[in-house]
Amino acid sequence: RSRSKSKRISGFDMAPPASALLSGAAAVTGQIAGATPTL
Amino acid sequence: CSRLHTKPTISPTLLLSNMYQRPDMLTPAPALNPQTQPNLDPRHIQDHFEDFYQDLFDELSKYGHLESLNICDNLADHMVGNVYVQFREEEHAANALRNLNGRFYSGRPIIVDFSPVTDFREATCR
Repeated sequence: RSRSKSKRISGFDMAPPASALLSGAAAVTGQIAGATPTL
Repeated sequence: CSRLHTKPTISPTLLLSNMYQRPDMLTPAPALNPQTQPNLDPRHIQDHFEDFYQDLFDELSKYGHLESLNICDNLADHMVGNVYVQFREEEHAANALRNLNGRFYSGRPIIVDFSPVTDFREATCR
């Protein structure tokens, strides 16, 4: 173990990735929007 | 064991359900290849475990003196990743329970309860 312990961030209070859910939804919306003009 | 163990209303010992997740538990089975998955290197798993233990110890020590800290590293479904922490004082355990409830660890909610276990050598279910 060479890395410094103090640099590591504790996993406590690491909330669930709500932003990941949002960006995922945005990506899906983007795909739909891209497909619409071809219709 | 499938028994419903009674949860005491007060105890020096807390149970944090399914809190520890082994890195190799999070990897889909077809990817279980140490050559392609550095996460599965035994040294990495050991480091990961020590980080987890350190996180827990640091956080829990804020609430009182720890008598013992046990992490289940079993792979079976039963009690997998359960963490048992015994405080010297019941009040400290109660304080930790109040403080940990509703918080998150690594994006997962912390499930905390009192546990009847006070002697881990005798802690097998009979």
